[in-house]
This record gives sequence, structure tokens and C-alpha cells, in this order.
Amino acid sequence: MSRKEISVLASWLLAGIRLPLALGAVALAGYAIFFAGPFDLRILTICGIYTLLVLGFQFVFGHAGAVSLAQATFFGIGGYVTGILATKFGVGFLVTFPLSIAVPVLLAVIVAVPVLKLEDHYFSLATLGIGLVVLLFAIQWSDVTGGTNGLPGIPSIDIAGFVIADRRSMLWFVWAVVVIGCLISFQVTRGLYGHAFHLMREDRAAASALGLNIAHLRFAAFILSAAYAGAAGALMAHVIHVVSPENLDLSLMVMCLTMTVIGGRTRIAGAILGAILIVYLREWFRVLENYYMIAYGSAALIVLILAPYGLIGAVERLRRMVFGSSVEKPPSALVRARPAAGSARAEPLLSVHDVTLAFGGVRALDGAGLSLREGEIVGLIGPNGSGKTTLLNVISGLYLCDHGQVDFMGRDITRAPAHEIARLGVARTFQHIHLVDDLSALDNIAMARAAFDGGGLLQAITTLGPDHALETARRLAMTAADRVGITGAVMEPCGGLPYGTRRRVEIARALAMEPKLLLLDEPAAGLNEQEQLDLADRIRSFAADGITVMVVEHNLVFLSALVERLICLERGKVIASGLPDAVRREPAVIEAYLGLGNALPLTAVTS
Amino acid sequence: MSLLQLLINGVALGAAYALVALGFVFIVNATGAVNFAHGDLVMAGGYAAVGLGALAPVPILLLLPLVAVIMFVLGLALALLAYFPLINRPPSTVFISTLLCGIILQNAFVVLFGPQARAAPPLIVSGAWHLGQIEISVQAIGTMVVAAVLIALQYMVFARTQIGRRLRATAEDRQMAQAIGIPAYALIAATFGLGTALAGIAGALLANQFFVYPTGGIPLSVFAYIAVVIGGWGSIAGAVIGAMMISLFQVVVSAYVSYAVATGLLYATLLLIFVVRPRGIFGERVQRRA
Repeated sequence: MSRKEISVLASWLLAGIRLPLALGAVALAGYAIFFAGPFDLRILTICGIYTLLVLGFQFVFGHAGAVSLAQATFFGIGGYVTGILATKFGVGFLVTFPLSIAVPVLLAVIVAVPVLKLEDHYFSLATLGIGLVVLLFAIQWSDVTGGTNGLPGIPSIDIAGFVIADRRSMLWFVWAVVVIGCLISFQVTRGLYGHAFHLMREDRAAASALGLNIAHLRFAAFILSAAYAGAAGALMAHVIHVVSPENLDLSLMVMCLTMTVIGGRTRIAGAILGAILIVYLREWFRVLENYYMIAYGSAALIVLILAPYGLIGAVERLRRMVFGSSVEKPPSALVRARPAAGSARAEPLLSVHDVTLAFGGVRALDGAGLSLREGEIVGLIGPNGSGKTTLLNVISGLYLCDHGQVDFMGRDITRAPAHEIARLGVARTFQHIHLVDDLSALDNIAMARAAFDGGGLLQAITTLGPDHALETARRLAMTAADRVGITGAVMEPCGGLPYGTRRRVEIARALAMEPKLLLLDEPAAGLNEQEQLDLADRIRSFAADGITVMVVEHNLVFLSALVERLICLERGKVIASGLPDAVRREPAVIEAYLGLGNALPLTAVTS
Repeated sequence: MSLLQLLINGVALGAAYALVALGFVFIVNATGAVNFAHGDLVMAGGYAAVGLGALAPVPILLLLPLVAVIMFVLGLALALLAYFPLINRPPSTVFISTLLCGIILQNAFVVLFGPQARAAPPLIVSGAWHLGQIEISVQAIGTMVVAAVLIALQYMVFARTQIGRRLRATAEDRQMAQAIGIPAYALIAATFGLGTALAGIAGALLANQFFVYPTGGIPLSVFAYIAVVIGGWGSIAGAVIGAMMISLFQVVVSAYVSYAVATGLLYATLLLIFVVRPRGIFGERVQRRA
């Protein structure tokens, strides 16, 4: 190892709370090697197995943000597969272990289609239902599963004749598997791919608008959770030599949930800490007998209330309070040459034709139509409730219209999902800011690259060394931040930034997608006159780069100086379109804004 | 057993389930969160009836108001412990906190009453009426009457009274309700109390025929959850209908096949419903907007 590598490693170790965690791990390993008796060896083995279970659960619960209640079910199925194959067919570990992972994964794949599209409480209930059906099978199908008594006599691990029989070897073997599990988890979550999960669980609308396929991410998390659970269940079967319905019932699920909540839902160290703490608490509290579960439930409740990110999160926060947060240096900006714009096409870049969308009885859009030429800046105006934002949502795919058609670059995108439209080159900002508050502005912007450069799950797992995709994304984000004038604030968490800056972060994020069409929803809201002028200049510079811009605004002074064309919506219909001055004089527009019989030109009122 | 007899049994059980689901949907409406301790609160009501019945040997009907008051207080405690500290967190956090409260309750039952099943005294008297082949227990009739009265009462409160309108406004949009001067926190706490009181009354009614035991609340939580999902998330009438559908399904299928198959089929049916209708049979009461 060269001196430079050593120093890089040292600074990595000293960042955050890694040093105390490493010391804790060394202490634990030392205890296991030198002091642990047979009982401790068994307990620590079980801790390792639950760590694996929780690591898997973190993908779906922590990273994807979905309360799955099927984790214990996958664990139990893994155990039963090992149990049935080993006791009835005498098959060895090299066959049973992969199959114990494959079968829960297969179940996860089958149920994923209907279940993963469910939201929140529907998802929880559906996964609970799956668990209860599997539990009933385990109890009723007693010829195969042994019914309520389960299957006893599961042999120790036998790898091609090499039997792992004694407790110490089993401990090492289980923890070796845990280390592999930790490494895979680290690989999945550390890079640009893993960062996408953060945005996806905080804000689905923003994630889809950035081109992230939420269904894919949730699917990956669900499959991983099933695989880890299956592996853990198989190991448990070999350790306790029996598998029974207790391996997949609700109390195991509650324990898994508690471990995750107490340790921390997204941190690898949290999985280890949660598993060890809960298993040992159970042993220590055994003297309390029936009061034990009351104490255990209360402890978990207290941690849930006081430490939202688990004990590891609390330690991290404590460290920041004591040592202050180390402010990273912003990365250097990376300017990437835009692909040379082809000769401007004759057909419009975007055309919206006769779009209708009703919410209950309210027709938010009622035959709206417009078209944008490549490279132009267009303003979309209209009174409150006239359908401006709804139209943006239909174009960007967040809403599906009832009738009508939307074409982008000659392609029909009417029914396309939001993430596909985003990937085609439609970027947008939101009227109500959609940012992740606890991430820095830079990371919020960098997230725009996840859909394009993030790669897939396998690529994330197999990337060795530093994740260049993340590095590049952050450098591109720096460029985008520069273009909206917020370079000074990029390293600060978004939650603490002033309103106007947050708006700019959103614009920078949209810009970082390198879009062809940029839809801005009230970008000037809350800006003073000077800031508005500055923003208008910057929007003009985007257009100069060949980005077509549509701005939804109420501020006509701001718009008139900026746009080449104004389109006015009223009650879901386009009532005027043309040069700003002409539209502002249009009687229908004046009437829409000011009511009947008012002949004043709009400038007199709005300026 | 004749089908008519089965239907009557189903409706009688459904009346108690409807009370369970009603309390559950109250809390869903007030907080947008699933109260997974709800079934355990039903058991708590059952145990309250058992305990009070042992102290005072009178019909449970006379003790119901007292059970309701005790449970109301327990509901307030639940709100203070598991909801208000987490009010600004995602709803899934409340799901977990109530799940943990459920665990605490289940083990408190073991400590206080022991692990064995217990039965409460009947609502008025034990016994049954006979109409030809059909047999209806007095308890079943009493359950249906009490459930009908309480369902009608809550309907009146929500539809006709100022406090009901305020509760609905709070459920719809807490911050807006506060902005127009509605004491939203007090109303949420009251909703927890009322929902829990309903759960307790349901428990006291069920505790005579079906016994109470420490883990008996878990399936009830799940049934209430399913009833509210199939009845339309947040719909009060839907919750009652959903509870009736579940109990009829259970009673009829159990009679012809077995209880295990009935339960399995119920969950399987639920999963099938999700395939076709991701937001329940009747959809959500309020359409979400991005």
C-alpha cells in the first residue's frame, strides 16, 4: 500500500463515527475469540443471523421506505427450504443454501407485481397478508412442514464433506456471511445508485420527475430483502437444527422491525448494533420473566420517539454536536459539452392537443392545447385554478389525462410514465418545493444524474474503488449550481436554506438533467425585483444553450421582459396565445383576470 | 346448520367487528395513521369487563359505561405515548409505535390476568331464543342492538353536530383546522379516546362468547385493517360494511370447510382485491393529489 493510499484510508476511517465503530467491532471480536463461553458463542452466532435479516430489511424499510411485514416470512421460507431438503432429501449445504435464497426471492418476484405498486398502509397490509397465508401453509401442510411442531433434526452445515459442527466454527462461518452481506449492502448504497433511494423514499413526485423508475428501485430493494432473509433463515435452521412456524410468525417480524428501528434504518452499523442489543437484552431481561416483553417494548418505543434515526443516528448527531459538522469542500465544477444542437426542426418540440382532465366534477383541463418550438421561451399565465400546474403535471407525466394527446419530439408521450418522459429530456420544477431537506444542496442537484448515470443494481454491487459516477454527478451539479448562482450555499443542507435559494436549487437540479425542455412552475415567487431580473437573465442563458423553456408565472412584468410568447389559460382552456403585449391586451385575458367590463390593460394593474 | 342460521351468526359477529372497525377508522381519520394496537385495545376492553364483572356481579350492560370511560382514558394515554411525540413523522412511524404499544399491552395482560383465556359475564343474561330451527343467543341480539345504537350515534355526531364537523375538518387538514381556530390537538386526543372506547365496548361484547386472551387482539387488528381497506380508506360506512363482509365470509367458509381455510382464503381474497383494485374495492374517500 502506498503512503497516499494509507492516508486516504486513514481519513476515511476518521470521518463520522467510523473510528469508534471500528474499535467496538474489534472489542467484540476480541471478546468472541478470547472470552466467550459456549453459551456466548451461540448467542453471538444468532446475533449474526439476525444482523443478516435486518440488513435485508433495511433495503425495503430503510432505503425504499416501505413498511414490509413479509421479512420474517422470507426468513421462515429460507429455513423451511433448508429443513425440507436436508431432512427429507439429505442434500448438502451447497445445494440447500442457494435454494434457500432462491425460493424466497422467487416468491418476492411473484408477489412484487401486485404488491409493490401499493402505497403505504396497503403495502403493509398486503405483505402482512402474504405472511399469514404462508404461516397457515406451514401449520396446515404438516406432511411436508411438520405442522406446528416443525421439522427437527436439521444437520449442521456440510460443505462437500467438510462439516461445521462446533459452535466456534459456526460463529465464524455465520459472521463471514454477515461480512459479505455488509459489503454488498455498502456497495448498493454508497454510490449514485444508492443515493436515488433517499430521494425516492422522501419524495416520489420529484424522483419520477428526475427520471428515476420508482418501481425498479422498490423491486430491487424487495428482492434484496428477500435474499438476505432467506440466507439468514437457512443459517438459523443449521444453528438450532429445527425449523417451525415460529420462524415466520408475527413476533419474529416485530423483533426484526424493533432491531431496525433501534439500530438505525439505513446504517450497516445500525443493523449489527440493533441485532446484538435486542438479542442480548432478551437474555439479560429473562429474569424479568413476563415483564421482559413489556420492558423490551417500552425500550423500543423510547428509542423510536427520541432517536428517529436509531441509536447509530443518535451517535452521529451527538458527534456533530460535540465536534461540529465537518464541512466538506465543494468539488470542482465539470463542464460537459452539450451535444451539438441539430438544425432546428420544423415540427414543434412539444405539442399538446385537446387535453382534458377532470378531478371528480372539476374539469381542471378542458381541451387545452399548445405547442412549443425548439429554443423558445414561453410564458404560461392564467388566474388561480385555471389549470397551469395541472397542465405541467400532464406534460411531465405525473397526471394521466382523460382525453387528448401530448407529443414530445415527434413521439406520443401521452401515456408514458413520468420517469420515461424525464429521460427523454423534459425537466421541471415544482410550485411547492420538492427537495430533500437533510441532504446538501449539491447532493440534491447531483440526484438529477442518478437516472442517467447511476447504473443498475449489479453495476453498483460490482463497482470497485471510488464511485466515479457519484463524483462526476457532483461535479456536474456544481456547474449547474454555478449557472443559477448558488455556489456559495451548495454544501449546506437544503432544509436550512432561504426560500429563494431553495427555488434555485430546484432549477439547478432540473438543469443538471441536461434537458431539452425545461418547465418552471412559478420560479420568481418570493423573489425581489433585483433577483427577478437576475433570474430572467439566467433563464435566457439556458435558452441560448438550446433549452426550450416554459415558465408558469403570475408576475407579468417578469414574464413580459423574458418570454417571446405568452399563452393564457382560463378554466382549462387556452384563451389567448401570442406576443406578450398582444396577449395582455386581449379582452378575454383581461376579463379572465379582472372580471367582466374592465377595460384597463393589464399593465396598469400588475406593474 | 342452515344457511340462514349461519347468516344470523355472521351478522352477530359482524356487529362486534363493526364496532372494532369503527374505532379503527376513527383514528385513521384523525391521524392518517394505522393504529396497530387497536385489536389489543379490544382485548383490553374485554379484560376490563372480566375484571369489573368479577368485582360486581351485575350484567355487563350496566358496566358498559364504566368500561367506555376506562378505555377512553387508555386511548388518551395511547395518543400521548404513541401519537403526539411522532406527529410530524411519516405515518409509518405511528404504525410502528402502536405496534410496540400493542406488544406492551399483550404482555401486560399476561402479567395481570395470566396467559389463559377468560370469559366475561353476559350482556344481560345467558340463554337463547328459538324460532323454529333458528337459534339466536341473547348475547348476539344484545351485541347487534348495542352496535346499531353506537353506529347510529356516531353517525349523528359526525353528520349533525358542531363537534362532529370540527372532527371532520381536523381529519381533512389538521393545519387548516388549527388556522381557523379548531383545537385540533384536543380533538385528535378525543378521537383516540372515542375510538378506544368503541374498541373497549366491542371487547366487552365479544368477551362473553369468544373469550379474551393476551394475543387475541392481533387477528382483530388485522380484521379491522382489512375491513377499512376493502370498505374504502377513511370511510366510516365502508368500515362497517367491510367488517360485515369479513365476518360473513369467515362464518360461512368456516362452517363448510374450516376456520384455517377461511382465514387463509380471506387473506388470499384480499391480495386478489389488491391486484385488481390497489386502493380497495370502493377506492379512497379522498382522492390524493400530487
